[in-house]
Amino acid sequence: MSNKVLEGLFYTKNDEWVKVEDDLGTIGISDYAQDQLGDIVYVEEIKKGTIVNQGDIITTVESVKAVAEVYSPISGEVIEANHTIIDEPSHINGDPYGKGWFAKIKMSKPEETKELMNASDYGDYRK
Amino acid sequence: MRYIPSTSEQQKEMLKEIGVSSFEELLTSIPENVRLKKKLNLPPALPENELEENIASIAQKNIDFYRMKPLIGAGAYRHFIPEAEKALLQREEFWTCYTPYQPELSQGTLQAIFEFQSHISRLTKMEVVIPSIFDGASATAEAVLMSIRLTHKEKIIISPLLHPHYRETIKTYVEPHNIEIVELPLQDGATSADMLKQSLDNNTAAIVVQSPNFLGGVEDIQEIVEITHQNDALFIQVIVEAMSLGLLKSPGNMNVDIVAGNTQSFGLDLSFGGPHNAFLATKKEYVRQLPGRIVGETKDRDGKRVFVMTLRAREQDIRREKATSNICTNHNLNVMAGNIYLSLLGTEGLYQYSLLNFKKAHYLEKELLKSGKFTNPFPYPYFNEFLINYQGNIEELRKRLIENNFIPPLSVWQFYPEEKFRQSLLFAVTEIFSRDELNKISNLLSQ
Amino acid sequence: MKLIFEKSFPGRIGFSKPTDLFDDIKLEESIPIKYLEKNKKQLTEVSEVDVIRHFTKLSKFNYGVDDGLYPLGSCTMKYNPRINEKMAGLANFSYAHPLSFPDMAQGSLELIYRLDKLLCEITGMDKYTMAPASGAHGELTGVLIMRKYFLDHGEKRHKMLIPDSAHGTNPASAAMAEFEVVEIKSNENGTVDLESLSHAMDGETVGLMLTNPNTVGLYDEGIESIQKIIHDKGGLLYYDGANLNASLGIIRPGDAGFDVVHLNLHKTFSTPHGGGGPGSGVVGVKSRLIPYLPTPVVALEESSGKYYFKDVGEKSIGMIRSFWGNFSVLVKTFAWILSLGPEGLYECSKASIINANYVLAKLKEYYKPAYDRYCGHECTLTGREYKKYGIKTLDIAKRLMDYGFHPPTIYFPHFEPYADETIMIEPPESEGKEVLDDFINTMIAISKEAKENPELLTSAPRRTPITRTDDAMAVRRPILTYDDELRLKDELNYQEKDINF
Repeated sequence: MSNKVLEGLFYTKNDEWVKVEDDLGTIGISDYAQDQLGDIVYVEEIKKGTIVNQGDIITTVESVKAVAEVYSPISGEVIEANHTIIDEPSHINGDPYGKGWFAKIKMSKPEETKELMNASDYGDYRK
Repeated sequence: MRYIPSTSEQQKEMLKEIGVSSFEELLTSIPENVRLKKKLNLPPALPENELEENIASIAQKNIDFYRMKPLIGAGAYRHFIPEAEKALLQREEFWTCYTPYQPELSQGTLQAIFEFQSHISRLTKMEVVIPSIFDGASATAEAVLMSIRLTHKEKIIISPLLHPHYRETIKTYVEPHNIEIVELPLQDGATSADMLKQSLDNNTAAIVVQSPNFLGGVEDIQEIVEITHQNDALFIQVIVEAMSLGLLKSPGNMNVDIVAGNTQSFGLDLSFGGPHNAFLATKKEYVRQLPGRIVGETKDRDGKRVFVMTLRAREQDIRREKATSNICTNHNLNVMAGNIYLSLLGTEGLYQYSLLNFKKAHYLEKELLKSGKFTNPFPYPYFNEFLINYQGNIEELRKRLIENNFIPPLSVWQFYPEEKFRQSLLFAVTEIFSRDELNKISNLLSQ
Repeated sequence: MKLIFEKSFPGRIGFSKPTDLFDDIKLEESIPIKYLEKNKKQLTEVSEVDVIRHFTKLSKFNYGVDDGLYPLGSCTMKYNPRINEKMAGLANFSYAHPLSFPDMAQGSLELIYRLDKLLCEITGMDKYTMAPASGAHGELTGVLIMRKYFLDHGEKRHKMLIPDSAHGTNPASAAMAEFEVVEIKSNENGTVDLESLSHAMDGETVGLMLTNPNTVGLYDEGIESIQKIIHDKGGLLYYDGANLNASLGIIRPGDAGFDVVHLNLHKTFSTPHGGGGPGSGVVGVKSRLIPYLPTPVVALEESSGKYYFKDVGEKSIGMIRSFWGNFSVLVKTFAWILSLGPEGLYECSKASIINANYVLAKLKEYYKPAYDRYCGHECTLTGREYKKYGIKTLDIAKRLMDYGFHPPTIYFPHFEPYADETIMIEPPESEGKEVLDDFINTMIAISKEAKENPELLTSAPRRTPITRTDDAMAVRRPILTYDDELRLKDELNYQEKDINF
């Protein structure tokens, strides 16, 4: 089982992560999540300009044997979506915290990150 | 019992190995109160020879359906089935196996399904084909549900010339979903484009039109597809007589969005209405909203070209209540049958058979009209079924046909109880009728 | 192997040419040309011999019940008697047009009518509809009947309770009737947790969909309490008949309080699976639900002794398909019941239960069962102990193929913490002791291999026509027709050996 955790990110109980830079949050799914899903074969396109609340379904990820909903860890507006994962969903398996990012969100409630887990708490949560 | 190999001695040994002294000990988790305490009240077991006689005697209470050629179609058509197809379907490897979940042990089924998808794709000019939903009616209902998922709209418009059973089935499937169903009024042998225009609005998810329609009429699909798309609705074409695909313009060449097609005519027995089969075909962009199983091509570890069930994340065993449909077991053996049938007919055979269906139906209509006993209620282009009004006593016409080993045509009044259809008969003529037989029929009915 | 399209040769034909082409009828005079395709649609050009060889070869790439043990849990892969096939194929049945007058089809109607009576006696129900084409189709029919019942009684119930061990079709069917699915957890015995159930059941809930024995192969010992909890709150109890093979002559769903049942005739009742159908999912109900059955049903007019189609009436859920049912499957079922009689049916369930418990007893020290207790007609083991050797349940299943067996159902049921990496084995009554012993010894040998030589498992199967498939690639780059393949010809770059084997 693989569950690498990256320092400096915030995590949800549903295994999403968010990396905060100023008022910009970059989101994705954790190494544990990609490992549980197995070979990811399809990601539903995230539309630029979408307004999401924390906990809203932002996209779905499909592997050969499972489908998972991805919930936004933060509220805000999608200002950029990662199109490379649409063509190469395997990036999510290979580099979940890097090339496999999903979207950049302009955060409307930055204080929400306080409710999320830090790397060490998340590491314990998915031990 | 000849279907149970283990002897009672062997069963005793097994019980001993399990560690119980009697079979009853294995059933202790069933509460005593709900245990069946009597013997089932069923007829005693029949030896095979008596069973055969018993069921054969029930079958004999039917008329001799083999000898009686049907002049009725209306959703189920008698075509000739080549013996090579029947023989191949006897291979136990095809019919005693399960759904092909293990590709290493089921390439036979998987490749045949892939070939069938390829055949149907070429016949319909549609990009993606779900090979098997139970029958035309349930496939049409699934197509309607799919159109609602795709458009998020809440109104469905149905042609009055869609098979009555299909219309009823759509209503049953859609009833829980708070969807408005508008059935256009019946005018003549074609769906009215004007009526359609009046009903279409921006809340319409789809329009459902059968072509050839219930009266055999070939619809002007191109015209109604345009009207439909102008309103951002989807167009669902239903094909009940698949033989027409050999001749008529492919739905994909008319920009149809979804096709639901009954493939009973591709090598399947009438069998009193089932099991038949139907496909759903659509454009690639809609593939993730399709219900049911599909087979795709991939490679194995050695690089061989192989076939697997694919795009499975839509299905109930993975997605449970969020699946696109609950369908699991479908009618795969009838896909196998259809694929063998189409392989045997090939390019030339399907064209010739399709053409013959068309020509023989038109020949009979011509002959009947010549007699003066029949009139044409309203002319329309048709494939192998046509509506015609009889001047005489319909009861007598039926009797005469039955006496001469023909199953009479359908009285459409039973489905369209309008006064103008009192004397209307829907004749279906397939390639199984010879010129002599068609002449005999027209002579019989001209007296 | 090569596709039929790749065996095409210009000018070959595989059909028998008609002699009279009716050249006197002119196509273009009879229909506007715009309705016709300009060119013939391109299929194949092969001879009858080519077709026979092609499909015979394809058949050899399949594995069927007649080839050996097919222990798929919850699928009941039992022997399909030949006499059933012959009976269903009688010309008077197979050539019967569904819209013939009832007078012409008295035999077909009688068979449907009599089968209804037999199934009612076997399951303790009051009336069956023969319309549903499959188990899932039966479920949809059943939940629509439940929905209509409550609407008719002025009640708006919108939730359906479904155990976590249920087949995926249950929640999917409930969703098609617009019910909200509420999952009920299994308890430590592997059956319905009564406390959760009574907590979840309320006046807004339609009822419970239950498989008994359930998908882990266990009879629900709480069935009396379950039916009381559901009925006390005015709900209805639905029986998924996928596992009826453990119950013939032993327990009837009707006696246990079930209001609606579907039967998979292609499981318990010996009709073949056909590589994924056609089967039949007939639905039986208690008398108070008869008015809601799909229309029509077959009835007998006592005075004349004639059978006819009777409209169910305005409360019916309507039609759920064209025509009346998967008739040929009904004939096979009828033949099987008459072949066995009451004692024979009981013997089937008895033999299948002994078989499953025997396999469980012999294998439980090698593959830890999800629950260590006696089972019904199938047992659920797990492969989780082998994870430490780098072996997944999938590898065990694939290795079985090298020994000539079809693998059991794997990864279903799946619910934490009990049912994980599951191997669900259903050895039906048509498997004799020596077949089971072979299977058991093989499973034990595989267990040893997993520990000592795991590579044998991870590289399996090697003795099948193909090796493991790249399922991810199949989705990432969907090739769903031969024309899709032709468009990617250069990229795929198949060598002759890759397609001709």
